[in-house]
Amino acid sequence: MSRLQNSRALRWLCTLAAAAGLVVMLFPIYAVLVGSFESTETLFSGTYYWLPHAPTLDNFRTVFNAQSANVLTSLIVGVGTAVLALVVAVPAAYALAKYRLRVTVVIVSSLLICQIVPSIVLATSLFIIFHWVHLVNTYPGLIIADGTYAIPFAILVLRAFFFSLPNEVLQASRVDGASEWQTFLRIVVPLGRSAVITVAVFAFLNGWGDFIFALTILNGATIVPVTLGIYTYLGNYTTDWGAVMAAAAFAMVPAAVMLVIAQRYIASGLTAGSVVG
Amino acid sequence: MLANLGTPPVPGAAEGKRLSGQQRRKLAGWLFLTPAILYILFAFGLPIVYNVLLSFENTSPATIADLTAPFAGLANYRFIVDDPTTRTSLVHTFEFTVGSLIGQFIIGFSLALLFTLRFPGRTLARSFVIVPWLLPLIVTGVIFKFMFQLEGGAVNQLLMDVGLVHQPLDWLDDPHLALWTILIANIWLGVPFFTLLLYSALQDVPVDVKEAALMDGAGPWQRLRLIIVPIILPVIEITVLLGFVFTVKVFDLVIALTGGGPANATQLVTTWSYNLSFQEFSFGEGAALNNVLLVLAMICAPLYLLLSRGSLRRSSGEER
Repeated sequence: MSRLQNSRALRWLCTLAAAAGLVVMLFPIYAVLVGSFESTETLFSGTYYWLPHAPTLDNFRTVFNAQSANVLTSLIVGVGTAVLALVVAVPAAYALAKYRLRVTVVIVSSLLICQIVPSIVLATSLFIIFHWVHLVNTYPGLIIADGTYAIPFAILVLRAFFFSLPNEVLQASRVDGASEWQTFLRIVVPLGRSAVITVAVFAFLNGWGDFIFALTILNGATIVPVTLGIYTYLGNYTTDWGAVMAAAAFAMVPAAVMLVIAQRYIASGLTAGSVVG
Repeated sequence: MLANLGTPPVPGAAEGKRLSGQQRRKLAGWLFLTPAILYILFAFGLPIVYNVLLSFENTSPATIADLTAPFAGLANYRFIVDDPTTRTSLVHTFEFTVGSLIGQFIIGFSLALLFTLRFPGRTLARSFVIVPWLLPLIVTGVIFKFMFQLEGGAVNQLLMDVGLVHQPLDWLDDPHLALWTILIANIWLGVPFFTLLLYSALQDVPVDVKEAALMDGAGPWQRLRLIIVPIILPVIEITVLLGFVFTVKVFDLVIALTGGGPANATQLVTTWSYNLSFQEFSFGEGAALNNVLLVLAMICAPLYLLLSRGSLRRSSGEER
């Protein structure tokens, strides 16, 4: 690239352009974080303050009292979705990458199709089906539904990764007398751990951030994830902006944590799942 | 379920003969796939089929507890065809999708191109640009509702501070503006995906190709149009296609921002379907609309499969 771009001025111009783009992309997040520390008077004063005006922790106190249980609920749903996704996707992806089965084409095609199906289509049917099998308003029901985001993606990403596992290693394990299952557990999973972490992270975020299935499959009384809690705040006649902002700031935490600890997995997972898929 | 898989006494051993290595591998492959097959059948196959049945049934709040309701013939579809809100929601979904794709592509591609250049802070900028994609959709809804509110919203404040408008605009409650507001929010949401995918494609354009074009005296615009775009075209296609799929599905964002209002001004097919099923408890009508939505979303399925054909059959397992 160096020959295409030689002037220093141009380079700084790029930095400036990127900075401007970033400000636009990240301003909404800044606005929520600042908003979550503003007092109710400030938020309803009719003027927007670009910088923190009169910071207070009141909103977080309100939200902590009202939403702590919901945070726990969301954690359970997120972890449950991640576990379900791993149990279903890791062995399947391995089989689709390394075993020459006649069903491979059919299954990979259906996974691609599954990614296209709108969630509201599934939610309508699942609501009635779940009614019938008593999964409405239960954790397993919600986790199964949330898996519909995570699992097709997880299988495709992992499959793309498992292609690159060297056959010699698998062969050697079999020659040593390991069974197919032992080979999978002791060789394939450890070698694929970066991809496994990627899909676990995404599945967790899917479960944590899910709103549509929480809205349709839960009755909103006993099991209330954070997303549903936020929606309830919003739906009130006059939105309690302070509480909404603080709850939203709270709901962003896992994304922020993931961005820091799983940065490289996220970028590679996103691209692998879509392009190779 | 899989635990007893490979240890020697597999099924077949009972007859005193052990499975050959090849048979055993085949069986193992199938067992590895079983959870996924069951999951796809239960969580995708069953609801899709059931949705078709439901769309021919005369449902009522009383029938929800049962799996079936009286046969309704084409009544639900007749309702969908005659319903003015359905028509409006289809138009909105079309406008929303086209607008989003254009916006997301232009901004995403520009950022992707920018990131291929070397400049201070580019790694940091690239990692932060993903953030909107990681947020729960309901949070994005909250953020934009806050920024676009009539009084005390950042957007109106900015527009008035720089003197573009003198009266605050009612972004969320003015029927002429509300669709623009959800469009802007959705573009914001989708830009990271476009940027990331297009950026990784641009990374793969060989440097010597670009340098050769430069030697031949091609300007930046010519290089982009004649060299870079043709090379990354497959990725552009699949990115736009997935962008289409995501946008047709959008639901959470709109429910949080406007709930489909004011006066159905932001009613999309997804939100209207939710309304029919879960607000009016006309699950039959909702299911009929769902099927329309499903067909719409599936328009791109053949193209998606075609673009992915290289990976469909692929297996890197050893030849036998």
